[in-house]
Amino acid sequence: MTTLSAEQLTIGYDERTIVRQLDLVFPPGQITAIIGPNGCGKSTILKTMARLHPATSGAVYLDGKMIQKMPTKEIAKKMAILPQSPEAPNGLTVYELVSYGRTPHQSGFVRLNQHDCDMIAWALEVTGLTELQHQAVDALSGGQRQRAWIAMALAQETDLLLLDEPTTYLDLAHQLEVLQLLEKLNQEDGRTIIMVIHDLNHASRFAHQLVALKKGSIVKQGTAEQVMIPNVLKEVFNIDTTIVRDPRTNKPAIISYDLIR
Amino acid sequence: MNRSQMKLKWTIWVLSVLLLLACLLSLNVGVVAISPAEVFQMLTGNGTEQQALVLFEIRLPSMVLALLVGTAMAISGAILQSITRNELADPGILGINTGAGLAVVIYIAFSQTATGSLSASGALILPFFAFFGALLTAVLITVLAWKRGFHSIRLILVGIGINAGLSAILITLQLRLSPQDFMEAMVWLCGDLWATQWQYVRTLSSWLVLLIPYTLYKAHTLNILNLGSQVATGLGIRSNREYLILIVLAVAMSGLGVAAGGGIAFLGLIAPHIARRIVGPRHQAMLPPAALLGSLILLLSDTIGKNLLSPTELPAGMVVSMVSAPYFIFLLMKTK
Repeated sequence: MTTLSAEQLTIGYDERTIVRQLDLVFPPGQITAIIGPNGCGKSTILKTMARLHPATSGAVYLDGKMIQKMPTKEIAKKMAILPQSPEAPNGLTVYELVSYGRTPHQSGFVRLNQHDCDMIAWALEVTGLTELQHQAVDALSGGQRQRAWIAMALAQETDLLLLDEPTTYLDLAHQLEVLQLLEKLNQEDGRTIIMVIHDLNHASRFAHQLVALKKGSIVKQGTAEQVMIPNVLKEVFNIDTTIVRDPRTNKPAIISYDLIR
Repeated sequence: MNRSQMKLKWTIWVLSVLLLLACLLSLNVGVVAISPAEVFQMLTGNGTEQQALVLFEIRLPSMVLALLVGTAMAISGAILQSITRNELADPGILGINTGAGLAVVIYIAFSQTATGSLSASGALILPFFAFFGALLTAVLITVLAWKRGFHSIRLILVGIGINAGLSAILITLQLRLSPQDFMEAMVWLCGDLWATQWQYVRTLSSWLVLLIPYTLYKAHTLNILNLGSQVATGLGIRSNREYLILIVLAVAMSGLGVAAGGGIAFLGLIAPHIARRIVGPRHQAMLPPAALLGSLILLLSDTIGKNLLSPTELPAGMVVSMVSAPYFIFLLMKTK
């Protein structure tokens, strides 16, 4: 099991500090959802955890090793990151995109070996893209395209999967489709999944742990039952919420909310 | 073998045959016509002395030069389009043409050429001036655009700014040249493939023999960088280091191309663009056809430019733009 944690993490852009002295542990084998208002630093934290953005001070630890001191290729063998709305070049096929996920396991003039091909076939299969593998990524629908990117991250063969708003721009059904795929990967293979997500009901339904952020600090961290309560949501989003148990999943769900003036 | 591999194989075959025909045509036509049969005769050591002179000292080196410069510009353009993820990028955004052009104009302006034409030593020094002009400008643009890492939009914007500034200086200097020198500079700027001596061809080819295989070795890295720097880093690519290596490669190739060929503007944009449309964006597949296309377009343009309005010669770079612009617009209109 791969563990990921942050200690005393301070992050900023230029002179502006976004996150101050954050301590965060992501339990292995669980789904963690990072929630919070726009500009609270969710994406920045995710990027820094994945070494895509430098930390001003503090450290990120991957299996006890400081990520800043690890070769980027070694990290890529343990952790896959899917940035927000990635774009594939025109004409790139689904198979080609997914095969790029094997990059950290290859070197020099690239040839796919049998294991590479098996992993690509598996990633295509589990995301339901086997039939579409020779189609161009830009010709797919939004939901299929997002699944193709997830398939690329899966082909990377990592225990840890980080996703930045994986359901943005998708309709309701496709949002669920993506989230259920992540849930399945977590349940069946024990993958650790960390995602930034805007839909609180989705966070509540799919995540074992929620991290609620405001202005770069953790307001509340815990299960859906602990985080999805009016007081917390009031502090984080400045909204007044009515929360019930979802009859389908028995998880806390917001059925109505209003701005607090 | 699947469909895309078949398509790639066919594309390379068709382009190679076309290129061979273009080579024969370029050797054949001119003030002294030499038929393909005579070409083969001469290659086996027969033929008249005059024909041999025309063939070996004029047509053959200028043909090989067009092939090399075309390849260099096409591959350089392919690299830049991929790392900036912008299909409108070409070596020009790194100031290759403007930088080399300015250096050449400075040289012409400050070298006292009493006869109005370049002396023999001048012709030897000029490509070095052009190359270092291109190099210096590219370094300036890259350094100014670099901000704790590579950002394609910064590179493009800084490139546009520096290019505009240098163009202004270039025009100011050019207007102060004598009419004779002005013409000379103008022809150079239009890309007239002027370095047709064997010594240039040898220098250029020995560099390309190193640079092109290295670019092919980097094909997979280019594929990954084409997904954006964040995805690339996530896949374990040291993106900033790779961006720098690839910029150096692109600058070296287009700098050499411009030094030997003059300001050939459009080729680095259109050759990789067409290649990508035919065989897709994977660099292992698109680099060879892009190189073949670059060579083919430049060689045909050179041949047309030398013969269309004979005895007046049109610079090849100008013909490239005239020939490929309509095709380019057609391509853009055809796709949604």
